[in-house]
Amino acid sequence: MAMRFDIDRYKEIVDTLSRNRSRTLLTGFGIFWGIFMLLIMLGGGNGLKAILNENFEGFASNAILVGSGRTSKPYGGFKRDRFWYMDKTDIEAIKALIPEADIVTMMDADWGGDIAYGENSYTGIIKGMTYEYQEVESPKLIFGRWLNEVDCTQERKVCVIGKRVWSNLFPDGEDPTGMFIKVKNSYYQVIGVDGRNGGININGSPDQSVVIPYQLMDKMNNRGGRFDIMCMTAKEGADSDEFQDKVRALLSRRHSIAPDDKNAMMMLDTEKIFKIVDNLFKGVNILVILVGLGTLLAGAIGVSNIMMVTVKERTTEIGIRRAIGATPKMILSQIITESVGLTVLAGIFGILLSVLILWAAGNIVSNLPDVSFPVSFQIGFWIGIAVFSLLAVLGVLAGLAPALRAMNIKPVDAMRDE
Amino acid sequence: MLIELKDVNKTYFGAQPLHVLKGINLGIERGEFVSIMGASGSGKSTLLNILGILDNYDSGEYRINGKLIWDLTESKAAEYRNKMIGFIFQSYNLISFKTAVENVELPLFYQGISRHKRHEMAMEYIERLGLKDWAGHYPNEMSGGQKQRVAIARALVTKPDIILADEPTGALDSKTSVEIMDLLKELNEREKLTIIVVTHESGVANYTNRIIHIKDGVIGQIEENKAHNSVRFGSDGPLK
Repeated sequence: MAMRFDIDRYKEIVDTLSRNRSRTLLTGFGIFWGIFMLLIMLGGGNGLKAILNENFEGFASNAILVGSGRTSKPYGGFKRDRFWYMDKTDIEAIKALIPEADIVTMMDADWGGDIAYGENSYTGIIKGMTYEYQEVESPKLIFGRWLNEVDCTQERKVCVIGKRVWSNLFPDGEDPTGMFIKVKNSYYQVIGVDGRNGGININGSPDQSVVIPYQLMDKMNNRGGRFDIMCMTAKEGADSDEFQDKVRALLSRRHSIAPDDKNAMMMLDTEKIFKIVDNLFKGVNILVILVGLGTLLAGAIGVSNIMMVTVKERTTEIGIRRAIGATPKMILSQIITESVGLTVLAGIFGILLSVLILWAAGNIVSNLPDVSFPVSFQIGFWIGIAVFSLLAVLGVLAGLAPALRAMNIKPVDAMRDE
Repeated sequence: MLIELKDVNKTYFGAQPLHVLKGINLGIERGEFVSIMGASGSGKSTLLNILGILDNYDSGEYRINGKLIWDLTESKAAEYRNKMIGFIFQSYNLISFKTAVENVELPLFYQGISRHKRHEMAMEYIERLGLKDWAGHYPNEMSGGQKQRVAIARALVTKPDIILADEPTGALDSKTSVEIMDLLKELNEREKLTIIVVTHESGVANYTNRIIHIKDGVIGQIEENKAHNSVRFGSDGPLK
């Protein structure tokens, strides 16, 4: 007799599953738990990645930062422990001699600068930058604009303030552009507000900073064109390591530093950091998938095991069915359909609950005071579909052994062990 | 001849081969009400299994309605059982998580009859057996007699050629046993159903019109019992 794919067959399965509730629950729990854990971990990983990525937001992925420190080796007639600084000519030299260099610019910062507007004041970080710096770390402007070339060349007394500076000086949340604020001892006109949060930063968090043209900063601090941090990006397609080596060699030569003195010249390559984070999450994902699949597989084996026991328990029932006309094929398909039904049902509950919890987690995290952006912990649609298909396959596999056993039950078995 | 057995042999091959049926020859006409009686170990259960196409035999011939039952595939055997034979078991063998009417529906389900039709037919038999108010109850909510009547309804619902009853009163008290045997008798008389009762109780066998005694795997005496007086205590004496 051909297998009938009518509603009756499914009604029969639903009856069998729903009228043996505790058995169904016990059997399904393993699958439910496996799916739940897998999706919670995957979604959690996605959310963490989003949060971590937010920290890098705006950072060029090919930026290189050079910081000057104290020499750790005697070189070129100088003793060790010498301080050195970079200056404008270094920038010109790099631009002229290293073809891979794209943007080369400097940065200087003053920690603990007093900023005030009317009665409101704030102690933040004053940063001197050039308009080119936005290529290294791009601002997220809430109001106005960032520094431009003219601001820098004409040494205009303008500033871009960070979010926290803005909310402290302008507590009513008004647009501050055009207003004059006091930075240290002079007044600067606000031209924009940078809405970025903390996260990864150079020389202090952008939300606590006031950015003014570098040239003004240099004069304010009387440093005569010297600075501690240089920021640059490599041209597209350039080899970042090679570029770094060339910069190190050039600067070492110009400042009489031992070429291998890493302490004297610190270099930071954002590409490397991005790669580390990327690899970290790739690793985390692989781990999550392995652990999740393992749990799921354990669940499927659990289903198979319990179904095996129940088939033994149901020997009489199956024997009766066989005696009154069920063919072995019908019994086989019944047990497999039960198994698939059970796994898929339990899996759907797992998917629903984990999606719900991930959604709640996303909402809670997004509303945390330190998080200004919506964080999604959700799993992708296709991941959901893939997990669902996996469930069906697992259901068939889990049902196979018990079904084969059930198929071999003879109708006479119904009359035995009474 | 509805049922014909010719020199049927069956041996169980275990640690020690057991020759259970030693050349059974038997004929049962349509509409007969017979019993197969024997002590335990006489081979009556094996004979029942063969008659019910639940088991194979080693040699000989078994025909139902002229159709040779030999070397059947499992699915063919299931189909024959479903269409030709209705079983009544000692322990009712109802499915515990199905209601009375659902139990009766089950053989029709395996025939591929639609749900609506199935339910209608099952309800008809449930009513005929006086179980209308119990149709939605589960077996554990019913008495032994009620359960056995559900089982009889299940056996009848496919309109089989043969009803095979294996110790149908084995789990019942004497009063209920009388009820069930009266019911079987009535079914035989009114509906001309062919009913074969396998039992070891002479009181049960006395209800039938012919008693086939089986002993040590061979058929012994075949008693015509139209007068229902084979039991010494008399025709209307206690069953047990």
